[in-house]
Amino acid sequence: MSDLDRQIEQLKRCEPLKESEVKSLCLKAMEILVEESNVQRVDAPVTICGDIHGQFYDMKELFKVGGDCPKTNYLFLGDFVDRGFYSVETFLLLLALKVRYPDRITLIRGNHESRQITQVYGFYDECLRKYGSVNVWRYCTDIFDYLSLSALIENKIFSVHGGLSPAISTLDQIRTIDRKQEVPHDGAMCDLLWSDPEDIVDGWGLSPRGAGFLFGGSVVASFNHSNNIDYICRAHQLVMEGYKWMFNNQIVTVWSAPNYCYRCGNVAAILELNGNLNKQFRVFDAAPQESRGAPAKKPAPDYFL
Amino acid sequence: MELEVDENDLKAAGAELFDDGGRRGIRIHGWSVESRKHSILKSSTLQEWEQKLQTSHLPEMVFGDNTLILKHLSSGTKIHFNAFDALCGWKQEALPPVEVPAAAKWKFRSKPTQEIILDYDYTFTTPYCGSGTIEIDKKLNEGEISEETSNIHWEDCKEQIDVVALATKEPILFFDEVVLYEDELADNGVSLLTVKVRVMPSSWFLLLRFWLRVDGVLIRLRETRMHCVFGGSATPIILRESCWRESTFQALSAMEHPFDSGAYGDPSIISQKLPIIMHTTQRLVISS
Repeated sequence: MSDLDRQIEQLKRCEPLKESEVKSLCLKAMEILVEESNVQRVDAPVTICGDIHGQFYDMKELFKVGGDCPKTNYLFLGDFVDRGFYSVETFLLLLALKVRYPDRITLIRGNHESRQITQVYGFYDECLRKYGSVNVWRYCTDIFDYLSLSALIENKIFSVHGGLSPAISTLDQIRTIDRKQEVPHDGAMCDLLWSDPEDIVDGWGLSPRGAGFLFGGSVVASFNHSNNIDYICRAHQLVMEGYKWMFNNQIVTVWSAPNYCYRCGNVAAILELNGNLNKQFRVFDAAPQESRGAPAKKPAPDYFL
Repeated sequence: MELEVDENDLKAAGAELFDDGGRRGIRIHGWSVESRKHSILKSSTLQEWEQKLQTSHLPEMVFGDNTLILKHLSSGTKIHFNAFDALCGWKQEALPPVEVPAAAKWKFRSKPTQEIILDYDYTFTTPYCGSGTIEIDKKLNEGEISEETSNIHWEDCKEQIDVVALATKEPILFFDEVVLYEDELADNGVSLLTVKVRVMPSSWFLLLRFWLRVDGVLIRLRETRMHCVFGGSATPIILRESCWRESTFQALSAMEHPFDSGAYGDPSIISQKLPIIMHTTQRLVISS
């Protein structure tokens, strides 16, 4: 058994790698990712997955439902880390699979694959806690800069983490972005990872936060038409039912973190496309408590004031 | 996760726990304290709420069926907490939106044609401090029962919640924390409304907390505490203290507190650093 296969087995048991192993894994991954396009070509059949957010045991449920990689060809739409308890193991397992089977798994970047966001929402603290230093966080966030920004399945389905940008009307415009950088606070690359579809606008909307675009049905229709696309598949927003179509089936949100943050009680979904691009959503629940390793301890009384 | 409670403590207090599916709680000294915890609302129910509240935006996690109910059986006094009433408060207060730091840069971005600027309060800030009614069953002729409800009334008072008594380590017979709603502000911070309760042999105490952090901009904490000491009187005595605190990140860093959002994860730890902007103490008045 090769070192890499051994590491994959170890990660599947939710045991993190040594720091030196993470470093060399990231170097190998970088060589593969740097060759990928900003609009990475993906062949069908493929199974599309939305946000995971460090919910390792729920991702194992996902693989139970969708099948193991490399037998199943996967496309993950980003947000591997933050919020859940196992961002390190989750991201490293996906990355190890990418290095081992580069043509059977595609990873694109979510807005959480960023130095700034991970320092606030958990991944940074988790690395510090599990390794006693921030080196692993550095190796991983350096890899984030190499992740592709979007994928195109059989030239017909455009996949991206967040959504569209007013600065982008053609796929070629995405191809010209220099992506090897921290996610910027504005501009096309920022929009692709952050923006959301919105029912109450038809064209473009600006979030009440003063930053962040919302896009309506006519924006999606004209993008799909001019790029000869059937529909857009994106993630980024929690959906109680696991997936949600909008604007007459021109865009679908796929959400793959069941019982999000371990308390929402939502189901998750993945989208399976066969060789003819026929769709099947597979909906799944969170992993049962007893399969999550050590049982949670009874809490101490909370004398809050 | 359930707290381990000593059977002897329960017996000595004359209390009884109950746990029936999604409802769990305690009966003690003529009170019933009950919590219900469920999943976030489904898309279809969320749409109904949007219509009722006349809004097209609600928090992404609305725990619409979650509730905490405290009922004093003989007087019919019922104090309860739910997301719907809290969101009514949000809708009514309708604060202007808070701009995030990136907004400064965005002002210089080229505008798409046909741009609408949304202006609802995406922080879901609410003045909510609980709901309350008096429910009295009146016997009519022929044995029929009609339920009369009236609102409860709070009156300003000088008394304060006895924090010293609450700090003693009396056994906790029942504890729960219930989330009412939560929003991640599209990864720009957190907005969270929760209520937690603890019931001891001599009293119950609860804390309703609205916690908001807009990263790099603002921290807001609106807390309501209620305390009821069990007594022999027919009508319960309940004290309610509301305390609103608020500060900008800029003001915090000027006081040499950290500027990064990672340092502001736990409201309990940082609340003392935040200046008070409103404080009231009230007591429950039951008029017959």
